[in-house]
Amino acid sequence: VPCVSGGLPKPMNITFVSINMKNVLQWAPPEGLQGVEVTYTVQYFIYGQKKWLSKSKCKNINRTYCDLSAETSDYEHQYYAKVKAVWGTNCSKWVETGRFYPFLETQIGPPEVSLTTGEKSISIVLTAPEKWKRNPEDSSVSMQQIYSNLKYNVSMYNTKSKRMWSQCITNHTLVLSWLEPNTLYCISVESFVPGPPRLTRPSQKQCVSTLEDQTSGLKVK
Amino acid sequence: DTAAFLPAPQNLSVHSTNMKHLLTWSPVILPGETVYYFVEYQGEYESLYMSHIWIPSSWCSPTEGPECDVTDDITATVPYNLRVSATLGSQSSAWSTLKHPFNRNSTILTPPRMEVTKDGFHLVIEVEDLGPQFEFLVAYWRREPGAKEHIKEVRSGGSPVLLETMQPGVTYCVRAQTRVKAIRRYSAFSQVECVEVQGESLPL
Amino acid sequence: LRKCLISMDMRHLEKSFQEMKRALQNKDTFQNVTILSTLETLQSTKPTDVCCMTNNLLAFYVDRVFKDHQELDPQILRKVSSIANSFLYIQKTLQECQVQSRCHCSQEATNATRIIHDNYNQLEIRSAAIKSLGELDIFLAWIDKNHQKTSGA
Repeated sequence: VPCVSGGLPKPMNITFVSINMKNVLQWAPPEGLQGVEVTYTVQYFIYGQKKWLSKSKCKNINRTYCDLSAETSDYEHQYYAKVKAVWGTNCSKWVETGRFYPFLETQIGPPEVSLTTGEKSISIVLTAPEKWKRNPEDSSVSMQQIYSNLKYNVSMYNTKSKRMWSQCITNHTLVLSWLEPNTLYCISVESFVPGPPRLTRPSQKQCVSTLEDQTSGLKVK
Repeated sequence: DTAAFLPAPQNLSVHSTNMKHLLTWSPVILPGETVYYFVEYQGEYESLYMSHIWIPSSWCSPTEGPECDVTDDITATVPYNLRVSATLGSQSSAWSTLKHPFNRNSTILTPPRMEVTKDGFHLVIEVEDLGPQFEFLVAYWRREPGAKEHIKEVRSGGSPVLLETMQPGVTYCVRAQTRVKAIRRYSAFSQVECVEVQGESLPL
Repeated sequence: LRKCLISMDMRHLEKSFQEMKRALQNKDTFQNVTILSTLETLQSTKPTDVCCMTNNLLAFYVDRVFKDHQELDPQILRKVSSIANSFLYIQKTLQECQVQSRCHCSQEATNATRIIHDNYNQLEIRSAAIKSLGELDIFLAWIDKNHQKTSGA
């Protein structure tokens, strides 16, 4: 039975949250309906095509998000999405996103960072962030395959000297040598792609200590 | 309406350094009155294809003047026309237009200020932040006969960047220049700065 | 070999577009019509066609879109002017390539360009201009992707 449109206030703050091409539509409940068992229905539109499409898993749902990664997986196209609130025979008008362009708007997650310490060195090995995949068993696609100019900004903090410095690299390994022995260093890495302004998300800070000094020959003045 | 007695501003000129462009003019002096000015600009596109279009400046429509930062208006490397009109109440003067169109590729590029330090055995540089249009070419070398000069691109200023891991007892020297891709130009190199990390290294 | 690489600071262009994207795209009410993005060929442009396609698309915007678009909002006017004048500058840069005849147009590139103009002609002129401006991000992303130096630095 079609609902009476406009009988409910609209959901709010509808937006796509996209990280590594995992594109999730999110919204906030309509105002003034606390305690009311509202459900939501989502539709999406491929810019340039003919009609709005439904996603069965996002029909009459209670949650306020809908994963549209599969539906928007062609990242060189643009998309719209919309949602409406439903309660009994009443429903809100649709509320629509702006045009969403995954290729330009997805946030590029940090790489995986593994550290190995030596007496005066720390070896850093980075694994490029992975693109969202439909099934866990699907083969992985690195974000580097989509953005060939992907780079990494490695930030290094020496907890003893309280100095921070960074280094921009394009490959996946970096050896920091001639460090001070027996010193705690904290490292964080951020992926970035030169081009339109994008939100960035640094990796979790990891702190490791260089090993004890096996020889006492080397002193820094 | 154009007031007969309100003269147009004179002596318009642009002073541009490190991609900051300042339009200045001689103020219109009317004792006891506050004269305001409107600044408008037209890029080469407008002058070629829609010459009737003049665009109000981002920050100086109006302004008490007699200067206007037009950096946010001059955003392409093509010639720009600039004009200024004085206003008093409802009356405006004629427009006074910059004699020669201004192109930002004429900006003066100064060598960047930089701080070269060491953190243990690590040679670190921090170059001043001149804004998103600026990149930096940093040259560094070991001060010893026949030493090779290494070049590193630093994408933005304002944060310390690791240049090299130093060997004890060796002096390392550094100089830097700015590069602005948008106008395809470089500054002169900065003064050279050198650092050394002492430390007698016993055979390991 | 990529021919006629444009070395220019795209960031400002992309920033200018981002700052007016919502305003432009909201005025575009024909979601079922697109001017640039039907083209699978745009996405798979051969390196040898990059210079020609860049030239043709710049001319499309400089000679048609920016002229047909009438803007009253000074904020939007400034952003569009910034992009229009930047495209004029890129055209001049590419002209150096054209002089050295490294800007060859294949039949595919010519067809792709004609499809763009045909799409544009099917809409009322103001709507076509607004839609094309709203699709500038597609063109800027295409320039970014096709005009990166092959070196990773």
